Amino acid sequence: LSGRLVGRPVLRREDERILRGNTRYLDDIDPPGAAQVAFVRSPFAHARIGGIEVPEGLEGAVRVITAGDVQGLVDDLPVQSIEGGSVSDDGHPVLARDEVRYAGQPVAAVLADTRAIAEDAAGAIEVDYEPLDPVLDARASNVRMSHWHRVGGDVESVFTSAAHVVRASHALPRLAPVPMEPRGAIASYDEADDLLTVWVSAQDSHRQLAGLAAVLGRPEDSIHVIVPDVGGAFGSKGAPAPETMLVAAAAMLTGRTVKWTEDREENFVASYQGRGMEAEVELALDAEATIVGVRARVWADLGGYLMPTTAIPPHTTAMLMCGVYDIQAADVEVFGMRTNKVPTGPYRGAGRPEAAYFLECTVDIAARELRMDPLELRRRNLIRDFPYRTVLGWTYDSGDYARCLERAEELIRPERSDDGERVIGTGFGMYVERAGGQFETADAELLPTGRLLVRSGSSPHGQGHDTTFAQIAADRFGVGLDDVEFRFGDSREVPRGVGTFASRSVAMGASAVAQAVDALRAKCEAVADRLGGGPSLADVAEAEPGLRASARFESDLVFSSGAYGAVVEIERATGRPRVLRLVAVDDAGVIVNPLLAEGQVIGGSAQGLGECLVEEATYDDEGNPTFASFIGYSLLTAAEMPELLTEFVESPSPLNPLGAKGIGEGGAIGTPPAVSNAVADALGGIRLDPPFSEDKLWRALREPGA
Amino acid sequence: VKPPRFDYVAPASVEEALPLLGEAGTVLAGGQSLVPMMNLRLANPELVVDINKLAELDYIGAADGRLRLGAMTRQATLERSELVRERWPLLHKAVRFVGHPQIRTRGTVGGSVAHADPAAELCTALIALGARVHLRSKGGARAVEASDFLLGPLYTMREPDELLVEIEVPEQPDGAGAGFAERARTHGDFATAGAAAVVAPDGRAGVALLGARPAPARAEAAERALADGASPREAAALAATGVEDEHRRALCTELARLAIEEALA
Repeated sequence: LSGRLVGRPVLRREDERILRGNTRYLDDIDPPGAAQVAFVRSPFAHARIGGIEVPEGLEGAVRVITAGDVQGLVDDLPVQSIEGGSVSDDGHPVLARDEVRYAGQPVAAVLADTRAIAEDAAGAIEVDYEPLDPVLDARASNVRMSHWHRVGGDVESVFTSAAHVVRASHALPRLAPVPMEPRGAIASYDEADDLLTVWVSAQDSHRQLAGLAAVLGRPEDSIHVIVPDVGGAFGSKGAPAPETMLVAAAAMLTGRTVKWTEDREENFVASYQGRGMEAEVELALDAEATIVGVRARVWADLGGYLMPTTAIPPHTTAMLMCGVYDIQAADVEVFGMRTNKVPTGPYRGAGRPEAAYFLECTVDIAARELRMDPLELRRRNLIRDFPYRTVLGWTYDSGDYARCLERAEELIRPERSDDGERVIGTGFGMYVERAGGQFETADAELLPTGRLLVRSGSSPHGQGHDTTFAQIAADRFGVGLDDVEFRFGDSREVPRGVGTFASRSVAMGASAVAQAVDALRAKCEAVADRLGGGPSLADVAEAEPGLRASARFESDLVFSSGAYGAVVEIERATGRPRVLRLVAVDDAGVIVNPLLAEGQVIGGSAQGLGECLVEEATYDDEGNPTFASFIGYSLLTAAEMPELLTEFVESPSPLNPLGAKGIGEGGAIGTPPAVSNAVADALGGIRLDPPFSEDKLWRALREPGA
Repeated sequence: VKPPRFDYVAPASVEEALPLLGEAGTVLAGGQSLVPMMNLRLANPELVVDINKLAELDYIGAADGRLRLGAMTRQATLERSELVRERWPLLHKAVRFVGHPQIRTRGTVGGSVAHADPAAELCTALIALGARVHLRSKGGARAVEASDFLLGPLYTMREPDELLVEIEVPEQPDGAGAGFAERARTHGDFATAGAAAVVAPDGRAGVALLGARPAPARAEAAERALADGASPREAAALAATGVEDEHRRALCTELARLAIEEALA
């Protein structure tokens, strides 16, 4: 029966529980007597704090906490380093001390019996702000928080001797992640056992655990982290939040259980954002249109502080600046600049969409300048032999880029026309993305009933682990799906894992599950052989209670890839864009569940399309967020989704037992360059940066050549 | 997003409600704008006067050829009314652009007009139809043209002690057609611009635009042009004159053309 479930479009088995409302999200957890938190947040993008005045006898407030109250109890959030680069020590403070660096930064916290009372009290606290000039443009900032520079190959000489050099600049706006469920945390402290328990809406438990231990200066075994059902994150619940740290510290200060449920307004202003990068890119091409070199300068608008993972996406962008092409010389430099906005961090794609956008739009510009078919230019330069080590230092494990491109071209049915009322153009975008890496863990146990229980260090927040992981476990254990049970997200129950991000769950988490289940199966078979007579798993469990096996799976990065195509129509009278068709061809190695994989592509593409059409986190000249509600920030609805065709090319990864890579982000990576190139094609080569709003397009259509 | 403290009263009749209105009392109808504004602490009423119990204001009727809409008529009820669809099709077409179905289930016709959002589709359609707004206060009653009633964004002629009780829409000329067109960033989002048109076979027309002025407004030049036999394109070109932003002018012109063409189709 082996191989029965993997590769089949099994319906998500977690959905019935979710659709019936039998879930338990953070706000559904209601410990009796919990104090609710409201934050006093800075109304200024940049200001010095002169003092904080808490009125006497604040009605209903249990406790007001300012930076002074948690001094010595909490450190700033830790900052992750980047390989081959530098990061500053601008870790995010839990509460602002003498300076605020973005509008929305937590300055004080109020605990009260209800959130409404806490908000009333927060409104009565007077903070003496001395406003300072904000820096809102990364290129105008003179404070560098991260820096990375790498040169591979003989860049100087290839650019000097190149037949053509193509130069372009591109910018991607800041985006709000907008998960359906905002963030939140609950903490309670048991002084007798010196145990801190924290429930947190997060992507996984162990990064929260490590963050709490570092900030509070406590050993990890004195902290218990529980991640309940999570209603989406898209990267924004990966790094621990300053608010979570405050909730934990408040529980320890007051002895009360403390709860913070973020509202939508807070989520918009205070949850770290994605993108916010711009680049100047140069390509050197020889007379045969071989891309012989790439030079890129990337500026990242990092915001006021470094969240633990703020410096990671720009580094990923830099490392992927050769894309899917065999380029033998590269010089890439990244400037991570401090600005007076909320920090950025990983958001679906996390550095890969930026790389794909910067490079693929430049490749199209090169094709136009060389009067070449952009697909022919791509075909001439694609990497065809694997493994392939780029001049920047990453090794692509496997792939078939030419096949992806060929299928995208066939499926999209390219179109180009102008009937005086509507212009239509076609564009393509390719990508390669890092996925997987580091390690992941699993623990498999044979229950007395003969069922299989697997505890996974990886953790779901919408991906469908409970189905895909179970397909793999059931196949390898030789049982049905219903005989497999999974546990996730409780730091005291599951083995130590890394986390759910970077499209790594199947390649890493499920590989660990496969190894743990294989090892348990071997143990069960040994017992069965000893017993003889073909015993059932329940018989095995009875004969040898407590059979368990665990695994820790490690691997280098795996590299998913893909080719996207888009056909875009623009109405001349108003500039209204309509994406007529979108094609997504992704290579994520072996696909465990084509239904869920396609769902990931559709969701990612919808977010990528939103980035192209409507999404932008905008600020006014003083650094006030002007997008901070669903009036100011739009998300696409089903009505805006075009016809979307998806297809998979399967180049197995040699780096894990499943041959798997990652599919969680391809849609968000491949869609923007394809749509942008289609828009430029429709506009006769005029380049715009997203979002492609009606007024921008209308003005572009009035330029000569459009 | 929790509202600050406020007092709440839910009168059982208009007579009971009127004395409660004034500087301190804010009327709660469908709550689709007021409640979010209170939650965001953009509105801080001392007293919320909930008129949801006023069944006497929930009606759709025709008398003497005129449509009478009680202020508490839900937008969804308007959308489903056969009478409205047959005889005042512009309202049927316009209301379908108001938010999403969930919002229309709660949102009221009177609330939409009294709130006077600059992107309100119903206000735009009512102006094109030449509707009148009926107000009552404990001191008396009055009626005002919808086009006069709407003064600016979230700003009307209603005095704090007045309750908007009814909207009256005149009979439409025989054979008049209706058209409504709008653009929003996404389906159901606040409109960027829109146009409502009713055109009779003899050229008598009502045209109103959303997004051309600070509040929905009548496009009189376009109406006159249609009466003089202008084509939809010619009339539309006059509809948005004076709109400063070039793109917005182009957008309003195109939407006016679409609405007028639909009305004539």
